[in-house]
Amino acid sequence: MALMQIAEPGMTADPHQRRLAIGIDLGTTHSLVASVLSAVPTVMRDHAGKYLLPSVVRYLENDEVSVGYPALAAAGQDPHNTIASVKRFMGRGHADVQKLAGHLPYDLVPDEGMLRLRTRAGEKSPVEVSAEILRVLKALAVETLGAEPEGAVITVPAYFDEAQRQATKDAARLAGLQVLRLLAEPTAAAVAYGLDKKSEGLFAIYDLGGGTFDISILRLQAGVFEVLATAGDTALGGDDMDHAIAEWLIAESGSPQGDPVWRRQLLQQARQAKEALTEQEQVPIHLEREAGNSRALTLSRKQFAELIQPVLQRTLPACRRALRDAGLKVSDLDGVVLVGGATRVPALRSLVAEFFQQPPLTDIDPDQVVALGAAIQADALVGNQREDLLLMDVLPLSLGLETMGGLVEKIIPRNTPIPAAKAQEFTTFKDGQTAMSIHVLQGERDLVQDCRSLARFSLRGIPPMVAGAARIRVTFQVDADGLLTVSAEESSTGVRSEVIVKPSFGLDDAEIARMLQESFAHGAEDVSQRRLAEARVEGERVLEALQGALQSDAALLDATEQACLDAARQDLQQCLSGSDADAIQKAAEAVEAAAEPLVQRRMDSALQRAIAGRSIDDLGD
Amino acid sequence: MADSCIQCGAELGVPPAFCHICGTIQPFRPELSLFAVVGLPASFDLDAQSLRERVLDLQKMLHPDRFAHADATKRRYSLEWSTRLNEALAILRDPLKRADYLLRAQGVDALGEQVKVADPALLMSQMMYRERLEDLLAAKDLQGLEALRTEVTAAGDKAIEKLGIFLKTLPCSQSAAAGAVLRELQFLDKLEDEIDRGEESLQNL
Repeated sequence: MALMQIAEPGMTADPHQRRLAIGIDLGTTHSLVASVLSAVPTVMRDHAGKYLLPSVVRYLENDEVSVGYPALAAAGQDPHNTIASVKRFMGRGHADVQKLAGHLPYDLVPDEGMLRLRTRAGEKSPVEVSAEILRVLKALAVETLGAEPEGAVITVPAYFDEAQRQATKDAARLAGLQVLRLLAEPTAAAVAYGLDKKSEGLFAIYDLGGGTFDISILRLQAGVFEVLATAGDTALGGDDMDHAIAEWLIAESGSPQGDPVWRRQLLQQARQAKEALTEQEQVPIHLEREAGNSRALTLSRKQFAELIQPVLQRTLPACRRALRDAGLKVSDLDGVVLVGGATRVPALRSLVAEFFQQPPLTDIDPDQVVALGAAIQADALVGNQREDLLLMDVLPLSLGLETMGGLVEKIIPRNTPIPAAKAQEFTTFKDGQTAMSIHVLQGERDLVQDCRSLARFSLRGIPPMVAGAARIRVTFQVDADGLLTVSAEESSTGVRSEVIVKPSFGLDDAEIARMLQESFAHGAEDVSQRRLAEARVEGERVLEALQGALQSDAALLDATEQACLDAARQDLQQCLSGSDADAIQKAAEAVEAAAEPLVQRRMDSALQRAIAGRSIDDLGD
Repeated sequence: MADSCIQCGAELGVPPAFCHICGTIQPFRPELSLFAVVGLPASFDLDAQSLRERVLDLQKMLHPDRFAHADATKRRYSLEWSTRLNEALAILRDPLKRADYLLRAQGVDALGEQVKVADPALLMSQMMYRERLEDLLAAKDLQGLEALRTEVTAAGDKAIEKLGIFLKTLPCSQSAAAGAVLRELQFLDKLEDEIDRGEESLQNL
């Protein structure tokens, strides 16, 4: 603890002069708040001594709202008005959650823009629902601290995109909290460990929650927490372990898949068995489908380990990717920190120990560690000592722009340290083009349709020039919260356009995971798709240029030349409707060859016109 | 002519981002080179470790977290300096990007699209390396990949050593030769990346 007690002369931490700040872990299943009290980061407990607040909000009659355990208890009987796991809806649109909605009892409002849930208290957005949870945590903080906190640090999953971060920030503002910073959950965990243990070196943070997996690699040195890489699989978590046990129960008991109620009951028993196996070597499971038809089974820790092996193995590709992005080998790491309730499973701990070649660090409660780290950073941000603490985070997903042919040009690659800025030049595609549409995307794939659209805006008033002459400089600026501003400028004239990217909804967690995974699985497919798209753009450009030239100067060609050119043109048109990149390229080259006499003669006549034009001007003077 | 603090007029140090007398952050200076931003002389010979520590020390004073409570102007200065420091670290720590930056500063674009690689020996070695990589991946030969990586890393180190000689005195008088080495290094870097990716995909099978 020595590191935490260092104080600058004149800045001694007088308890009455300390500025109050809180850290909040706003989780999918539960949330909690912590603060640095007398130099010790501490989670805050309610009157019952509990620090975990179930992330469940129930709208009651008479405009009353209940949050936490009472709401959780009512979820079964009042499903429409009791919202759980609202974090999955943050920053999403209605279309984004269709898949999810099928399994959930909520009444979604089918609207464009931000998602809304219909409750007896009216339509509620995920931002409003989250704000209810934050209000309760804030009240607990005020009661514990005896005063209003000056500011809060709220944690978000490392892979949260623009829209999800923005929604989280909005919810905090709605709850009357001053947000000092949004902090990535693994980074927060590293802060709690690093400062507590005074550790230095390279650390992996392995974070397995109920439905998401996140791995971050950090360097800790002299109070600086530098995120080197982050990766994840957001369709993977402790819930998958429950499903694995449930499948086994179905197979062992010889019962058919059965109805949803039966399945839910199995899942419930599976979860209890999973939790019991953390302490016990084996658990009895008593299945009772209906009265008189029961079956007693025993699940050993060893069997359980075998059942969940596929789930555990699926975390390893992301670990390898993060290491590669960080440019490190397993042997370079000084420690591995476990975060999230699902990391209590013994089989997981031994897998992590085997992969990383060392036993994981588990001495801070994996449920508390994120909130504790957030509290430490909040304390530093309001100006309580810790001048040495500095967190350097990274952009979790690449940012790019749409270019011709539905392709994405990456401007800032994932895992770039933030704040970051990057400028890139683009040009016009057509003669006399005066406006340019800018489409900002986030994701790892090459095609627009596979990435997430963040924003569109237009740059107008580009002076008419020939295609390719304008110089459009597009600048991306990502701030320390991971939020983006895009501006565009035409260099020769200084025409400017700027947009602060505030998307109304963002990526689906699973979608991010899918996009990341597909980008690796479909690398080769992307390359060939990219080639095809490029060939099409080039082919269309050739046809368009030819069209323009023929319109004004067809007379410059004789009949044979004209027939030859027509044939080549038709061939190219035919190829463009197919999907053979090589054929398109060859056909485009053939058109250009056939058009050569036309190009030559047009240039000659343009030269003559130019000379003639000048002499007339001269006369005019 | 030394720069002076906008607040107290004291002479500023290097880089001129922060006044060590009154502690005031200074307006961002976009014209400063990446070397000037980190307060180092322009040189290819640079220790990545001490560069990193230098940048992080500067970030401790200039990062937006230090200005969470400051006015909008100071927050903007902080964002601009901090962004530029990250850029400086990313470019200067990497020998390929550092050499390219130094050559660009004297108007040589060795890695631009218009430069056609016309060195037959380099082309030949590129083809041979690629064939080996493809064969190893097809044979799922992880040990062979490791051996290839060691070889490619050694070749890269040699190229960096050569760049060090060409760029010892600046501006570089043999920029064409330096450019050729730079293109070789770029190829080797990409190859190493492909080896990594190939290895990763074999491990994930």
